[in-house]
Amino acid sequence: MKQFSILLQKEWRENIRNYKIFWIPCVFILLGITEPVVNYFMPQILEASGGLPEGAVFEFPTPSPDQILMAVMEQFQTIGIVVLILAYMGTIAGERNSGTATLLYVRPLSFLSYFLSKWTMAAAISLISLWLGFLAGYYYTLLFFEELEFSALLQMVGSYSIWILLILTLTLAASAILPNGGLAAAAAFAVYLLVQLADGLLGANWTISPMKLPGYAAAWLTGNPRLSEFVGAIGLALLAIIGLIVLGSWAAWKNKAKTKV
Amino acid sequence: MDQTTMLLALLPIFVIQIGLMIFALVDLIKNPNPNGPKWMWGIIIVVVNIIGPIVYFVVGRRNY
Repeated sequence: MKQFSILLQKEWRENIRNYKIFWIPCVFILLGITEPVVNYFMPQILEASGGLPEGAVFEFPTPSPDQILMAVMEQFQTIGIVVLILAYMGTIAGERNSGTATLLYVRPLSFLSYFLSKWTMAAAISLISLWLGFLAGYYYTLLFFEELEFSALLQMVGSYSIWILLILTLTLAASAILPNGGLAAAAAFAVYLLVQLADGLLGANWTISPMKLPGYAAAWLTGNPRLSEFVGAIGLALLAIIGLIVLGSWAAWKNKAKTKV
Repeated sequence: MDQTTMLLALLPIFVIQIGLMIFALVDLIKNPNPNGPKWMWGIIIVVVNIIGPIVYFVVGRRNY
């Protein structure tokens, strides 16, 4: 426990010094603000970028607030996840290559607390960024569009957080298994895409799957997903997270000899 | 919504953008060994909106 808190302090200092604690929230907040603002100014944007042909009549359906927040989630699904994977691809592999790991591994180190300290810091930063991003998006939706219940937002963000944790744990485990950060990012992307493909092909019959979590999260905005399936998906996702943490700590221990001096 | 409240509402976007740019520039100045020439990263950070600083942090920092 003492080891864990000391390692966590090291992670905290590192994340401040490489500015991750500042720029990742900035990216998510910007993504969250952009979506409602672009939707609100759509007519003006179209006009400024060449406009419609003379005499064209174009009715703009005002998007409903839940559509805007779903669009924000879509942005996080693509750009947000890419940013998170790229930011954390080197957490363990990079430490092995830069030589920081040598200073750690010569001491009697519990690899579980080593991995957990990195996971805790990365999870805290990504979840706080995610929440700030959704809050910013929600605020601008209130400002420019109609009202949406805050409880619906909370339920949606809560379920989506589990999904982000799953992706993040996958990235960290890949970083522990593979020799460098680029490979880790590629592997995390490959798994992410393969899993989405599998879900697209078999998803109709397999409703209790962690890959369905973003969909279930979006369902909270308009009503609620089927509870038994939702709880099952959350449970499976949590199991996968725990499994990946164990796998990651084991791989970090297994690869300790590969560190460069 | 009138013009001034609109501008006030859009202010945070510019503040965050400038903030990102400043963080990236400070980091670039302190960085002894960026991934590519320093002047190039300086131009990218200042000229390319929003994406520039992010690309610098992801690619230019050599943190892997």
